[in-house]
Amino acid sequence: MSERLPERQGEAIRRDRPLRFRFERRTIEAFEGDTVGSALAAAGVTITARSFKYHRPRGLFCMTGACPNCLMQIDGVPNVRACTEPVIEGMHVERQNAWPSVDRDIHGWLNTFSFMMPPGFYYKVFQRPRWAWPLVEPFIRSKAGLGKVPHDPDHRRRRKLDLHPEVLVIGAGAAGLAAAAEAAEAGASVVLLDQGREAGGHLLGDATVRTRLALMRRMSESGARFLPQTSAFGVFAGMLVAAVGPDALYRIRPRHVIFATGAIEQAAVFPGNDLPGVMVSSAVELLLHRYGVLPGRRAVVLAGNNDAYTTAWALKDAGASVTVVDLRDEGWPEGFPVFAGSSILEAHGRRRVTAVTVGPPGGRGGQKVTCDLVVNACLQAPSTNLLALAGGRLAFDETAQAFLPVELPGTVHAVGAVAGARTPDAAIAQGRLAGLEVAAALGHETSRDEVDVLRASAAAGGDPVVLPPDASTTAGKQFACLCMDVTAKELKIATAEGFDSMELLKRYTTITMGPCQGKACMVSSQRLCGRATGRSFEETTPTTARPPWVPVELGTLAGARRTPRRETTLHDRHVDAGAEFMWAGEWRRPHHYVAPEAEVDAVRNRVGVIDVGTLGTFRITGPEAVELLERLYPVRFADLAVGRIRYAAMLNDEGVILDDGAIVRLSDDEFFVTVTTGNTGPLERWITWWNADWGLDARILNMTGAYGAVNVAGPRARAVMEALTDADVSGDAMPYLSASRVEVAGVPSLVLRIGFVGEMGYEIHFPSAYGEHLWDAILETGQQHGIAPFGLEAQRILRLEKQHILVGQDTDAETDPFEAGLGWMVKDDKDDFLGLRALRDLREAGTKERLVGFTADDGWLPPEGASVTDGERWVGRVTSARHSAAAGSVVGLAWVPAAWAVDGRRFEIRFGGTHATATVHLEPFYDPRGERVRS
Amino acid sequence: MTFLIDCPDCGPREALEFSFGGEVTPRAGPGATDRELAAALYFRRNVEGWQTEWWVHEAGCRRWFLAERHTKTNEIRRTYRPEDREAARA
Repeated sequence: MSERLPERQGEAIRRDRPLRFRFERRTIEAFEGDTVGSALAAAGVTITARSFKYHRPRGLFCMTGACPNCLMQIDGVPNVRACTEPVIEGMHVERQNAWPSVDRDIHGWLNTFSFMMPPGFYYKVFQRPRWAWPLVEPFIRSKAGLGKVPHDPDHRRRRKLDLHPEVLVIGAGAAGLAAAAEAAEAGASVVLLDQGREAGGHLLGDATVRTRLALMRRMSESGARFLPQTSAFGVFAGMLVAAVGPDALYRIRPRHVIFATGAIEQAAVFPGNDLPGVMVSSAVELLLHRYGVLPGRRAVVLAGNNDAYTTAWALKDAGASVTVVDLRDEGWPEGFPVFAGSSILEAHGRRRVTAVTVGPPGGRGGQKVTCDLVVNACLQAPSTNLLALAGGRLAFDETAQAFLPVELPGTVHAVGAVAGARTPDAAIAQGRLAGLEVAAALGHETSRDEVDVLRASAAAGGDPVVLPPDASTTAGKQFACLCMDVTAKELKIATAEGFDSMELLKRYTTITMGPCQGKACMVSSQRLCGRATGRSFEETTPTTARPPWVPVELGTLAGARRTPRRETTLHDRHVDAGAEFMWAGEWRRPHHYVAPEAEVDAVRNRVGVIDVGTLGTFRITGPEAVELLERLYPVRFADLAVGRIRYAAMLNDEGVILDDGAIVRLSDDEFFVTVTTGNTGPLERWITWWNADWGLDARILNMTGAYGAVNVAGPRARAVMEALTDADVSGDAMPYLSASRVEVAGVPSLVLRIGFVGEMGYEIHFPSAYGEHLWDAILETGQQHGIAPFGLEAQRILRLEKQHILVGQDTDAETDPFEAGLGWMVKDDKDDFLGLRALRDLREAGTKERLVGFTADDGWLPPEGASVTDGERWVGRVTSARHSAAAGSVVGLAWVPAAWAVDGRRFEIRFGGTHATATVHLEPFYDPRGERVRS
Repeated sequence: MTFLIDCPDCGPREALEFSFGGEVTPRAGPGATDRELAAALYFRRNVEGWQTEWWVHEAGCRRWFLAERHTKTNEIRRTYRPEDREAARA
């Protein structure tokens, strides 16, 4: 039907660059610069969607992404606004919410049965009889919602960008462009956002392009940063503005925000006001001037003032015949047949508007006028939502017949149509003024004289506004809300049912809750609500503004898909050795290489080596380093000799165990501290916090990852070490719990004589870059001694045989050292340490529970968390259990009543339907006197 | 949501870069009574208004400092290092 008009200045389309895309089963020809909506309009597609509830045909309406009428599934993404979505060669576009097609939607019958869907129908219909609901629910559910959610994972990469400009300008229309240019010229850093591909706002629909091009040139030369296709969707605490751009989320924290968000045209309310062919004037102008599309040949324009005649002239120039319906009795320019003092009483048509009935508002009858296009040019709603989120207060303005900002926070400014400007000149003056004032407030130099001149021309300007009737008196469905199919009659019913404010109507009828979020319906809803409740428009405040103001894909807001993952310097060696990995906090650690039992055997009888590079390590230095440690741990450090190691648990002031590890004294004022894998971050915070509070002269350096570490353990560990270093590693020169700085395989290392697994052990800490060299040297040297690398599972068996506890595994958030069997380390004759006060009470009160070792028959392995029972009563739990070759049974640790902590005491363990009898075993199951580890 | 915190070392940064240490409370030392111990461990004033609290610039200098924050508006009127506590009180 439609085709392109002759080429004109300021077009968006490049007629020399044709494109094609797939539209359902058709191929549509378009031009570069087209939107999907404009290309479909040019191709004569009039029905762009079916409505949400009644499946009524809908067509292009706003051309600015402000209404729900053209939501389509584009390349699999549902609910894309076709009217603003740029055409891309080969893209696939499908319409939504209809079957088998939008053109022949069989659910059109829902329109006829609309009497079954009164407002709040889901609270009313199908509630009785109760058995009916399960039958109809699946049908209702399948009908509800728009578009198809894609099932495939979304791998598009979205950036999150933080911007800190001095000035943020939202909206690049006349006012926004002027404001951004003025502030940037004065030296401020400026970011300017606009939802469109090009700046210009309402100026884009102007026949003359001079003003727009001049403003754009000035803005781009001013140094302001322009982000096109980027929409602000929320304003949050501390004036954080969130905006969504192509595959990007912007978090913008400006010092000043200038809102130049413009105004949104809305439809007058009359029967058939939702038919395809009923549009707002800005949509018509954009189609004409930007895309060369004539949206209709016989147009009826509904005018409230002379601004509407610009659209009428544009249509006439493009070859349409135009009739104007003017709400006023006089004062219009010549050139058109005009119905004076009239309004549109009804629009006719099934799949597209074919005629309107015109007559005086409130009257009946009227005159029928044949047409294929109805232009609403009398109702504008300032786009105040974001301003309200920024803390702006709105009030009704008589001249503008709209709610305008009246009180704004000091760093918030409103210019242009959103502030009531009704001519480009007024908008530009307001924009420039705000730009200058903001620049001055930021301390940039501006001219005072200019400010005074601009102030004079910043008045709103324009013709007085005359609003159409809030509804027609003619019978028929007149839509207040296009998104959710809410009619004027339904609002009246809902009000009569007692939902008599905008907030209640919103919740009950879902008005303003649809995809447009009130952009296309707030004014109509307010006026209808006002009438039904006997109040005026100005007394009916709009609903509370809430983000998101524009739809945002969840993928844009979602965090990165990545899971934090750390690998030690030896990771590739473990992979090469065929290790099975497991998570240990954010680390990947070998669970085992071949079989845990074989690895246990190697450590007990020959020698093994384990990568312990995941241990948290700190260097604590300074004259008061020893004082800091004295206060952090319950053990004593003042008497710890240089080169010696002390094992200790760290407690909080409740006396609860936070962590444990080895503390090495490297010199008088230098310590090396190890902490549990995965607990490094919290412990760094903990240690540095107390140091900051106490104000001690000590420095804490987190070395985790900078050093790698391996533990060589087993009866032949010394033989391996002797071959790797010239240093004396004998038991006399390097006894248990000593530390030395020596070269191992040529690598300067710190060697600690400790052993978590209960064998003679050398823990080598080395600069991580040398890891693979050292690992290879150890395995090569150890080959003749039968060395085997061992993983975490073998280590867990080995440590359990020694009853060495794992903090967090065998202890919980209430465990104190007495009940964990670590009472020996509490030196409560010290002046002070974290937990001292609480531990004195705990020692006096005695323990109620004890962590004890147990053995059980070598059949069933109780899982962690299995219950310890006394008859039918739960009295404790298993925290660790493994099969032990050394003990020839299951060994484990469990919490039991303190009175049961006696060697040989038998107790029941239960889990699910299984149970076993266990025996308390207080000493380590293996080498109870610790001779092997000391050797 | 987030807001800006003026780190004494690094200057204003997003709150997301920081970890919260809670309101400043006196620690119950070895001589504390039962009541003082319980108060220090388990009770917070939880004021609506200005509160002095601990923050650490985890994703920056990793240092602890004190901030006076309004618990209702998240406005921060002052930040300072712990060693400047005496001066801040004056």
